[in-house]
Amino acid sequence: MADSEFDSGRCLERVRLHDQDAAAALVEALYPQVIRIVRNHWAKQSDEEDLAQEIFLKLFSRLDQYEARAGIPLEHWVSRLAVRTCLDALRAKGRRPEVRIGDLPEEQQAWLDYLAADESAPPDSAAGSARELVGKLLAKLSPEDRLVITLLDLEEKSVKEISELTGWGQSLVKVRAFRARRKLRKLAQAFK
Amino acid sequence: MTSFDAKWQQCAARARQAVLRDENAPFGFATRIAARAFASQPQSLESVWQRLALRLLAGALGALVLAAAMEVPHLRDTHPLEPGVADTVAQLVWRL
Repeated sequence: MADSEFDSGRCLERVRLHDQDAAAALVEALYPQVIRIVRNHWAKQSDEEDLAQEIFLKLFSRLDQYEARAGIPLEHWVSRLAVRTCLDALRAKGRRPEVRIGDLPEEQQAWLDYLAADESAPPDSAAGSARELVGKLLAKLSPEDRLVITLLDLEEKSVKEISELTGWGQSLVKVRAFRARRKLRKLAQAFK
Repeated sequence: MTSFDAKWQQCAARARQAVLRDENAPFGFATRIAARAFASQPQSLESVWQRLALRLLAGALGALVLAAAMEVPHLRDTHPLEPGVADTVAQLVWRL
């Protein structure tokens, strides 16, 4: 949470009494966490605010469910809600974007060469180009595969954390990650 | 770990270093969400009962006013509160 002084318990009590200022303060405090998750899982910048809005509206409508499950930190509950909403959105989107090698900027092509060919040294390009190429490759995966790789490799979550966030068993998380990386390798090689 | 896996990890590590965009909520976002959240929230049982009770009270008041209005023409009678039925037994009981 962005503001360490933020008292989530007290704020939730006021939200429960329909205090609109408290609800706005809760949104302000949780927004950085939510938008980070949305940006990691959702490539389209134009829709990210809509998705964040959907997550917050779900949060308020399901707040009773959180209160009934004491002992779970609010941030953890919100992360789970955000990750699952992103997964639903990815499933609903269905069609995966077409990516052609010719359309990639030079810096991203260099990363692709490194991944797919015999280049031994990583390109010395800006982190932004690596990020964009990773986003384009992940967009070609199924929503579940994309989710597991994003959580493991971009957000550096442990298998146990991913299991808690997604509700999948730890073995399933490992199997999905293994298969997803194999698909990524095939995708990268298919570009060459 | 295969060669691809190692390279992928390096690519992901570089991607993690990418400068993050502003993570603060856009102006007005929080207020808009808070307003929409309360507008669309389902009503609690308490508030539903409260609304029903108010309607029942209004209905009861209406019935009372109607009954009083129907009694007004009989106020000038000798026995204004006498039941308006032509029933000997009832009239006798009333006079007792």
